[in-house]
Amino acid sequence: MRGAERSDVELLEAVRADPQALRSLYDRHAPWLVMRLSRRCSDPEVVDQVIQDTFLAVWKKPGAYQGRGEVAAWIWGIGIRRLIDHLRRRPTREVLTHQEEVTVSAEEHVLLGVEHGDLAGALESLSPELRAVVQATVLDGLTTREASKLLGIPTGTVKTRMMRAKAQLRGELA
Amino acid sequence: MTVWHASEELVRTYADGRLDRARAASIEAHVIACAACRALTARASDRDRLDRIWTEVTDAIDRPRRTPFEALLVALGVREHVARLVGATPSLQVSWFAAVGLSLGFALVAAHGSTRSVLAFLVFAPLIPLIGVALAYGPRIDPTYEVGVAAPLRGFRLLLIRAGAVVVSSILLVGVGSLTIPGVGWKAAAWLVPALAVSLSALALSSWIEPTYAAGVVGFGWVTLAVGSPLYARGAPILDRIVAFRLEGQVAFAILGVVAAVVIAARASHFDVAHDS
Repeated sequence: MRGAERSDVELLEAVRADPQALRSLYDRHAPWLVMRLSRRCSDPEVVDQVIQDTFLAVWKKPGAYQGRGEVAAWIWGIGIRRLIDHLRRRPTREVLTHQEEVTVSAEEHVLLGVEHGDLAGALESLSPELRAVVQATVLDGLTTREASKLLGIPTGTVKTRMMRAKAQLRGELA
Repeated sequence: MTVWHASEELVRTYADGRLDRARAASIEAHVIACAACRALTARASDRDRLDRIWTEVTDAIDRPRRTPFEALLVALGVREHVARLVGATPSLQVSWFAAVGLSLGFALVAAHGSTRSVLAFLVFAPLIPLIGVALAYGPRIDPTYEVGVAAPLRGFRLLLIRAGAVVVSSILLVGVGSLTIPGVGWKAAAWLVPALAVSLSALALSSWIEPTYAAGVVGFGWVTLAVGSPLYARGAPILDRIVAFRLEGQVAFAILGVVAAVVIAARASHFDVAHDS
């Protein structure tokens, strides 16, 4: 494939002129994006829709990439925000039935930990609720507001849980 | 620099959602920066699913963008495919509205001059929806005509949707204009009933002949009748002397409109046949 030798940045610059460029970006980045989003949303249809929206956004506004950092990180930023938008747009009924599952699904679709033994252990020792907040803000790079939408909790709760998580981690790692 | 890379087996476990949190987070952070490990995720992926999503992406890219007019119709609750059909109507294009607006402007300026020119406006006004209907449908002027003939949507329905849209929009346009004519009271709206009647008549007639010819015949008939009809009560204001704008004329046109509508309904199936002429 011709696009294989081009860098992500070059492909991104060519996206509007060259249909093959978007295809190459898709082949490189859709697979891991599907996996990573699937760990945060258990509905495959929503994930598919989010993937579609994400690459449409890449095609529409490749210029939104500032030229700093990995293109993959930029694409992840689009993907996770689209996922939040989708979850927010869900019918109220579904959101309500989800309400009781929030703690479970937070644990389920939010993961945390690092290869480093102590830290991983410390993170694992956090309650699912606290870990979910650390996951969303630290690892997924979301703002407090976005994290609150993703997890279905008020922004104030995100902040207090984050503070409690930090305190607990500090204690564990000290 | 790290020399750590995910093994193929680790990526597969991750892809299946069976990896513990700590290692999953490691992979996720690593994959952002490592093209080689991204390639591993591609190999562990469901190809069919990715191809299916890609098809959706290309479909969305290839889909023609809505024109502002279509977007407005959709926003008003019109279904998308109907909005596209109406949006493709030749006599609903910007050029058509520009032409109508311009000539209407001239007519209104003239109508502010004298009663005689108010009369000219009243005779001219019904021709606008009439011409609009003539240009709404038919093999000669419709760029989507061939598509329409082959489409599962019945030609008759398409015709009604488009003619309806044209008549309503042009009557609104002319109606707003006629409100600005001073000193003629309800007579400023005297064109309304004839306008509907001639538009419906032209539609009915176009079940026999091509829409443009039908509109030509009806338009000629309207002008002849309006201008050439016997004059009542010499010395009265000119608007009261023309039969079409008197109460009896209005009633007659209302009846003509109803008759035309009945004919249209009765001959619905004839609209589906392409006119060769």
